[in-house]
Amino acid sequence: MNRERFDAWLRNIYETQDEEISCTECFDLVSHFVELETSGRDAVAELPKVKQHIEQCRACRDEYETLRDLARFENEGGAPSLDDLRSSIR
Amino acid sequence: MFLMSSARTNDEWLHDLNASGESQEAAVADLRDLLLRAALYFFSRNLGDFGGLNRDEILQRAEDCAQDALIALMNHLQDFRGDSKFTTWAYKFATNIALMAARRERWKGVSLDELSFSNEGVFFEWALQDKSDGIAPDRSALQNEVRETIQDVIEHELTDKQRRVLLMMVFNEVPMDEVVRHLGANRNAIYKMLHDARRKLKSGLQARGFEVGETLNLFGTQG
Repeated sequence: MNRERFDAWLRNIYETQDEEISCTECFDLVSHFVELETSGRDAVAELPKVKQHIEQCRACRDEYETLRDLARFENEGGAPSLDDLRSSIR
Repeated sequence: MFLMSSARTNDEWLHDLNASGESQEAAVADLRDLLLRAALYFFSRNLGDFGGLNRDEILQRAEDCAQDALIALMNHLQDFRGDSKFTTWAYKFATNIALMAARRERWKGVSLDELSFSNEGVFFEWALQDKSDGIAPDRSALQNEVRETIQDVIEHELTDKQRRVLLMMVFNEVPMDEVVRHLGANRNAIYKMLHDARRKLKSGLQARGFEVGETLNLFGTQG
């Protein structure tokens, strides 16, 4: 484990809470979380447990980041077309 | 560009998907395109996971993910509460399945059993390294104390399963869903094991006087 990953892991250890939501609960709430974010509201204040989970769980964080990108595309009208996306696969 | 799938309101999505005939068919087709877009977007950003596949195979995987996501979504349609755009809610089914497919592809040839055997070696290598990088001796000694505390908790306070999952995921960066597959568990159970391990590590560090701010500063991390 390199220094950067160790630092991140150490931070994760200290940010551990007695009660944390599960991956299933995170999946259930993450679309609401993204909706709050993309509509300019304070998602972290309204759904702190989701933020806490995605900081700790790499799989849920990867899914969240993709979801956030896609929601922004929808909102801003910049969604890549299927053809554009197919072209980006090489 | 203008996308038909964005044109429906949440109520229209639900109405059309629950309808019959042409309006349902059109909604399902639009939904499938939307899910395919999500899978392709995820894949395009994780092409490193697909080193062994050619372009057509990757595109086919994306089609498969979209189909699987469509089935999963339709089975959960009654769970949509309207606390987000329908499209945002829909996308998460595709990103979930696309992530699992991508990580599976990357790790399909790796024996996690063999990895488990080498875990101890990886761990001790980590524990012994990085002790002389030019930092002040007292700081280095404290860093070693933190490392030794972590090592002690891992060796003596974690259960065998907690230790195994921790070593796979934290020290070997095995993705969650591969650990799930390997142990025949589910994400919630694996997350709980890691959560319990983190709680023990946190308690262990605090019991030995390593509070959050000073420990993170010790390793050059700002809280």
